[in-house]
Amino acid sequence: MRVSEGVTRGKIAELNNPEIFREREEVVVFKRDEFNRIYRSMMEQIHHVNQIHLYLDESETWKLMGYWPKVMERVYIIDKNMDALLRNEPLQCYLDAFLESSVGSFSGEVAASKGKVSAKDMLPI
Amino acid sequence: MRYSYGILDQKQILLYQPQLFLRNNDVLTFPTREFHKWHGDIKEYLDGLYQIQLRSGTVKKPLSLDINDFNLANAVLNNITDEVKDLFDENNILNLSHHYVSTLDDKYKKMVGNNYTTDMKRCDTKILLKPRITPWMKEKHMMEIVDAVSMEIRAKERNKKLQ
Repeated sequence: MRVSEGVTRGKIAELNNPEIFREREEVVVFKRDEFNRIYRSMMEQIHHVNQIHLYLDESETWKLMGYWPKVMERVYIIDKNMDALLRNEPLQCYLDAFLESSVGSFSGEVAASKGKVSAKDMLPI
Repeated sequence: MRYSYGILDQKQILLYQPQLFLRNNDVLTFPTREFHKWHGDIKEYLDGLYQIQLRSGTVKKPLSLDINDFNLANAVLNNITDEVKDLFDENNILNLSHHYVSTLDDKYKKMVGNNYTTDMKRCDTKILLKPRITPWMKEKHMMEIVDAVSMEIRAKERNKKLQ
């Protein structure tokens, strides 16, 4: 696909190589670091599934039952990433990593919600 | 993710939503039509993966699949890999004659579980239970340490006596 880097300057964006696009062609513009994040996440998930496949012994098919949910977990992450691409909401992980929370802790609310769950339900047994 | 459409005008791009970007932000620009096509292609493959899961075990029945299903899933994933890698390949020309719009219901994307997987999950996720620290517990903790030390001392003394 044709792709070009660029820099935003207020209302307009200047491209490094605008000649690859036609005049009056509609384009979609992403922030480079956010796109980078999504792209690398997807490659990582795919790599993980490939490794599962690589190390799976063909004779040990009974292991499939355990591996399949692991694979689908990764697929789910890819799916979420693809949804995030064309949705104008901030990436949650991105916010967690880069924004300092100016809001105080929600300890009161947490305690309230915790109160509803009885201690027995929280035990792992 | 923040994104904006724009139109190429005299070698510059007029952004439709410039408020989303700061000044001098590095941006990547794709042609809209081809990007949507690429996005749809990957969604099509992902829906294919969910269909493999659906075929091997419906939402209520326990999951059952064999090595063929697994190989099929891997082949679909390889296709996704190709698509993702081809994104930055300028010579790759997409076939724009059809466009896939995902209509798969979210309920089919839920994880199908069986006894084995729930057990695995229980092992994998460590549930952290934080007990409330009461004075009684503090004292007990202290006494455990004191007991351990006194046991050591007693053992040493016993050894001395034996020698």
